Amino acid sequence: MKKLLLTTIVMSALLANVAFAAQTIKANVNGMVCAFCAQGIEKKMRALAQTQDVYVNLKQRIVAVELKEGQSLSDDKVKAIIKDAGYDVTSIEMSEHPVAHIKAELESKAGAKK
Amino acid sequence: MIYNRFKVVLPLLAMLLSQPATAGPMGFSESFMAMGDFNNNWRESFINYAITPRDAFGISATYMRADDKSKSRTLEEITYTRLLKRWNAPHAQANLWFQGGIGALQGEDKLVGENRDFDKVMITPGVQFDYETTRIYFQASHRLYRATDINHDYTSVRAGFSFYESDYDKTQPWFVLEARNMNGLSEKIEVTPMLRLINKSFFVEAGVNNSREPRFNFMYIF
Repeated sequence: MKKLLLTTIVMSALLANVAFAAQTIKANVNGMVCAFCAQGIEKKMRALAQTQDVYVNLKQRIVAVELKEGQSLSDDKVKAIIKDAGYDVTSIEMSEHPVAHIKAELESKAGAKK
Repeated sequence: MIYNRFKVVLPLLAMLLSQPATAGPMGFSESFMAMGDFNNNWRESFINYAITPRDAFGISATYMRADDKSKSRTLEEITYTRLLKRWNAPHAQANLWFQGGIGALQGEDKLVGENRDFDKVMITPGVQFDYETTRIYFQASHRLYRATDINHDYTSVRAGFSFYESDYDKTQPWFVLEARNMNGLSEKIEVTPMLRLINKSFFVEAGVNNSREPRFNFMYIF
């Protein structure tokens, strides 16, 4: 009985964490050298119903798309949008950090390099 | 010599690549791009709409004038822009564009003892190549401006550098040097050093050319 109670508590805690963790897609993009040209990526990503926030980093060549809670977005869809905007995706990974965290992390890295 | 070769090779390239289209700058799919290029002798206003990631249709109005003011032209045209090829590298991008149009040309030649006015149909196919990183920029373009007994072909080369890298949502300043010539309107090559400011949805350029005349350009995507 105690084991069952403990398991339930642990499972609840784990599920609660999953429920509240941000889901952010991080894409590495080739050719993204100019904000004037890359704005199409941001506008198309923001237009999606699943999108909570978008961050573009030209120096690190990263596009980060934070999803709304419970939403999903396929890698193929992300690649297609970025391809349509004129760029090539070299890799995609998922992050549990929100866009604000990723932005702060990348900007602190860039600051440290200076 | 090099300039003469340039004048021969680029028109040939334009012919080879020509499809129905115009080119040069266009925004992302389903966006409008407005552009202006103004100095004393060349004033161009242009807007297009990207129907696909690679194709845009637009309208353009151009005023051209000879250095000695003996000739003036106005051109209203329908334009087509096509991204022919794009190369994406980790820290660079290069593009080959086709840009062209067809429209109504009105001209005035002030001849000794008489003024001659005319209306003609003008076609304007051309190509543009550009290469850019976050720090350097190069562009070469050649566009034919042809009507019966009229040749005002336009050739331009630009190169520049950014003063520093900037974040995506910050304004980035560039220095750009342009050399250009409008055949039949100017015997000289106009050289203009310009300061360019790029932000997400606009860029503006301003400078003074080698005839000490001001120049102003802008682009805006919406």
